[in-house]
Amino acid sequence: MTTELNEAQRTLMDCYRNLALVLEKHGDQLAPFEERNAIKALGALWQIANGLDQDPGQVYELGA
Amino acid sequence: MAESPYWNPRHETMPREDLEALQVRKLKHLVEWADANVPWHAKRLRDAGVTADSIGSLEDLRRIPYMTRDEWMAGQEENPPYGNVLAQPPERAIRYHMTSGTTGKTPIRVLDSMKDWEWISEMWCYGLWGFGVRPADIMFVAFGYATFIGFWGLHYAGEKMGCLVLPGGAVPTEARVRQIVDLGATVVASTPTYALRMAQEARSLGLDLAGSAVERLILSGEPAGSIPATKKLIEEQWGAKAGDTAGMTELGTIMVFECEEQPGGTHIIEDHYIEEVVDPETDRPVPYGEQGERVVTSFGRGFVPVIRYRTRDFVVRAPGTSCSCGRTFDIYEGGIRGRVDDMKLVRGTNVYPRAVEAIIREFPEVDEFQIHLFTEEGIRDEIEVLIEIPDASADADRVVRDLGKQLAEAHEGLRFGVRQVELETLPRFELKAKRVQDDRIVIGTEGEARQT
Repeated sequence: MTTELNEAQRTLMDCYRNLALVLEKHGDQLAPFEERNAIKALGALWQIANGLDQDPGQVYELGA
Repeated sequence: MAESPYWNPRHETMPREDLEALQVRKLKHLVEWADANVPWHAKRLRDAGVTADSIGSLEDLRRIPYMTRDEWMAGQEENPPYGNVLAQPPERAIRYHMTSGTTGKTPIRVLDSMKDWEWISEMWCYGLWGFGVRPADIMFVAFGYATFIGFWGLHYAGEKMGCLVLPGGAVPTEARVRQIVDLGATVVASTPTYALRMAQEARSLGLDLAGSAVERLILSGEPAGSIPATKKLIEEQWGAKAGDTAGMTELGTIMVFECEEQPGGTHIIEDHYIEEVVDPETDRPVPYGEQGERVVTSFGRGFVPVIRYRTRDFVVRAPGTSCSCGRTFDIYEGGIRGRVDDMKLVRGTNVYPRAVEAIIREFPEVDEFQIHLFTEEGIRDEIEVLIEIPDASADADRVVRDLGKQLAEAHEGLRFGVRQVELETLPRFELKAKRVQDDRIVIGTEGEARQT
């Protein structure tokens, strides 16, 4: 079972993936305000990915 | 914002076949995660011969052993303070909570990460949105914000939804009631017991709650939110609709909610949980319409994976189609009907506090009550109900007589003493009410252990 996403949902998923990527690849370069707000946002975007059945996995290692 | 009666329209109206396929997929992920990150779960899964790859249908869930509160607590004693259930190191957590401890047992301690905490409020969003709460609402949370998880998730859900949230912690009941009226709260969250307590306080202050801006009450923490007579009383006294929810610290949030159609039960959030209903004695699944014990598997909280947890809650499951709201999520008729452990055996008759409350609440003259069990002449179990009747003009003798008669009729003729006591002598509660006082020397005539 896969979920077909509309354009708005695809954009939200891109945000989620890009944010996770930034934290994974560049987390050590971020200022505290950048890193912690990004982590908080990732926790919220994870709910969207999960609600859209995109199997977002776990993000604890990224701090969320 | 698009107007929708559902928080997640796709999932809440999903055909059952698709919903079950989603649950199977999530179950595989959960088993894989628990197997890889929680040695305690890994051993249990290995011993049962269960791997993520071996799960192909919901039937496979039954191959996994039950998880019990006793095991959870034993793990905490063996490996304090959090036991053997964490999938991540504690330093990755941002929140600590524990059970309320109303059972008198050691509390269960849990941790959550940033993502899990968001998920906890997400579950409350299903319930709030489903009961008609919207961003324009002003939500008063009548709750003593502390380590008991209670309405914490609801508070954050209200913020997420864009409501104006009024945190009503650490103030006396009088101040809470005045704030609700003065600040124009449209939604109030509390336990059913405390909703009645606030209404009582408003009456004594001469405040007109029924004429206030409050339109909805979100109830949680006690089975009474789905007892029709109690709910009716609350709705009358507040002039507002009351919606039941139920959650557990072990899950971090709610797993069921009542929708705006008020079908006489609570929808299970089935895209985030698998709920089974089993016979507590034989462990066999029970069909729709029969009472059994809830067993829950949760997909949302990865920090503390919960797989097939025996809740000790009694429920009766019905198909989602029995509600007109359009959700496909099944329903627990009458919400949580009590706990397996709540049952009292009195001279061979089963007595459930919820059933006793349902009868007492049919008598609007009764303001507060307590169920008292004691041993007479050193050998005989007795049960009495203590009641407060604030209205001096009420016919107290009739209430005492009729209540005793109705309680006996509902309990195979068991004799209930009913006694009116002085006003304000019975305890009042803000969180979970404890209205059963068991002072028996020997508990029950069979099946219950001696109490020391």
